[in-house]
Amino acid sequence: MTSEYETFVRDPAHILSGNEVVLSLRDLTPGRRKYRGSNVRAVVSRPPRPGEPALWIRSVVGVKDPRPCSVRIVEELPETFNAVAFSDFFDAMEKAERR
Amino acid sequence: MAHKDLREFLAAIRQTGDLQEIDDPVDWDQELSGIGRLSCERNGPAFQFNNIKDYAGWRICANPVATWRRYAVALGLPADTSVRRLYEIYAEREQQSIPPVTVNSGACKEVMIPGDKVDLFDLPVPMVHEGDGGRYLGTWDLVVSKEAHGNWVNWGMYRFMVHNERLLTGYPRPTSHLGMMLLNGYVPEGRTMPIAIVIGADMPSHLASTATFRIGGSEAELAGGLGQQPVELIKCETSDLYVPASSEIVIEAEVFPDKIAQEGPYGEYPGYRSGEMGNALCARVTCITHRRDPILTLDTTGFMDSSACNTSISGAIAIKRRLENHGIEVADVYVPPESGIHMAIVSVRRGGAEVAQQAVQILTARRALISKVIVVDDDVDVFNMAAVIHAFSTKCHPVRGIHVTEYQGRANALTPAYSLQERVAREGASVSFDATWPPEWSKNETPIRATLDSMYSPDVQQKVLARWTALGL
Repeated sequence: MTSEYETFVRDPAHILSGNEVVLSLRDLTPGRRKYRGSNVRAVVSRPPRPGEPALWIRSVVGVKDPRPCSVRIVEELPETFNAVAFSDFFDAMEKAERR
Repeated sequence: MAHKDLREFLAAIRQTGDLQEIDDPVDWDQELSGIGRLSCERNGPAFQFNNIKDYAGWRICANPVATWRRYAVALGLPADTSVRRLYEIYAEREQQSIPPVTVNSGACKEVMIPGDKVDLFDLPVPMVHEGDGGRYLGTWDLVVSKEAHGNWVNWGMYRFMVHNERLLTGYPRPTSHLGMMLLNGYVPEGRTMPIAIVIGADMPSHLASTATFRIGGSEAELAGGLGQQPVELIKCETSDLYVPASSEIVIEAEVFPDKIAQEGPYGEYPGYRSGEMGNALCARVTCITHRRDPILTLDTTGFMDSSACNTSISGAIAIKRRLENHGIEVADVYVPPESGIHMAIVSVRRGGAEVAQQAVQILTARRALISKVIVVDDDVDVFNMAAVIHAFSTKCHPVRGIHVTEYQGRANALTPAYSLQERVAREGASVSFDATWPPEWSKNETPIRATLDSMYSPDVQQKVLARWTALGL
């Protein structure tokens, strides 16, 4: 059971809106699979809600926001997003979110 | 003659005192790459880690050629070969390409893992820097790709990150040779593009793959020239690509034309993590082959990393050739590795504003990796940074000596000076600093440099140098 994730975002305010958003998460569970990626539809909370896995938000240059969040995963999404190679990844996530 | 495989090369740098082995347990999660990073910043040795947490039986070699000494050994030369001499030898060997030969068996096939059994987390892929987007498998690698229609095969050094058990994401720039092959050939036809990510090949093959080399050129032949012997190639298991047979690890994969996943950010060769994430490609692994007791090679990317010396040389040679093709009479070019491959120093037979302006426009015509060009007269030794700084500081006019050219769609997205918006749009600019005397100035009015070689008669120079030698200085 994963207890801690991180995610990289271009617009932190968007994912903290309280609405369902699409995220690419990195699993921070220690061990050989640490940093495994997955795509999800989820709701992010700050301050963190009890019982939900912790989530750390990082900027596009990898700066970690020290304020903890939690994440409730609503749906596991496919491992990739449909978009032409070299497309903007954040745009592809937004499109997936609107579906 | 260079060494035939990574292990022979490591034995050689062990002998010259340029390799440090660590048998104590070291963590793949930042610790071992932190050691490698510090070594780059202190001009220290390469490291071989023999005991990696969670990954018994695997070894990692960090920064095989991050110093000029190790670069010299990689070319089969004495470790104390001068930088100028390394430039000369590289230029000579680049012209003596040797075609590869194909073989039917090779060490890289000792262990074979078919696609449906692949789990990338079985490899000791390091977390290179805290805050990177993930674990990077391809750092000191060689990625083989072939154009969709035709026979051009490209070798390039491109970064690849582990997304999950079988998926990798990578960032060859869209303007790179691999990027062009994908976007111009496979994407329009909706076909996957086969690639092979080769880790721990012979050093000349890696040097060729990281070299600035012409479109359509064969890096395999270049590797033969650099190593003075043909590279032995062996066919991949799941594609018709060929890879160096003595490689430690080969990851065969297919790049999706129409699927992406998160890639980056990653601390890159300019020495920063610039937030260029978001424009990458995604590949599914189809097979892994590797040697027994494999050694994964790692470039702890950043300031003075493993690609810095080679890109310095190959970039300078490419710059010289392009300028000469456009009629500029070039004496020498030096790309200081400390510049993060963002600056070139060009000495010319005849300088002036027109030449300086022309130089920066020529060098940014297709893709603009260099953002600063210092043009000096040919009496300045481009390898002597003290002399370059002196010329730049004193001869470059603060207004008339600066020539800027701006461009869109071909800027270096890894250049830290650009804003996030500029990096995403690949908008940028390059500048040429003219540190030459204007050719229209009369010789009678041009300042004379106050150095021994310029402001003293030949007789006095000779006497001074003789005295200097006699004093044992």
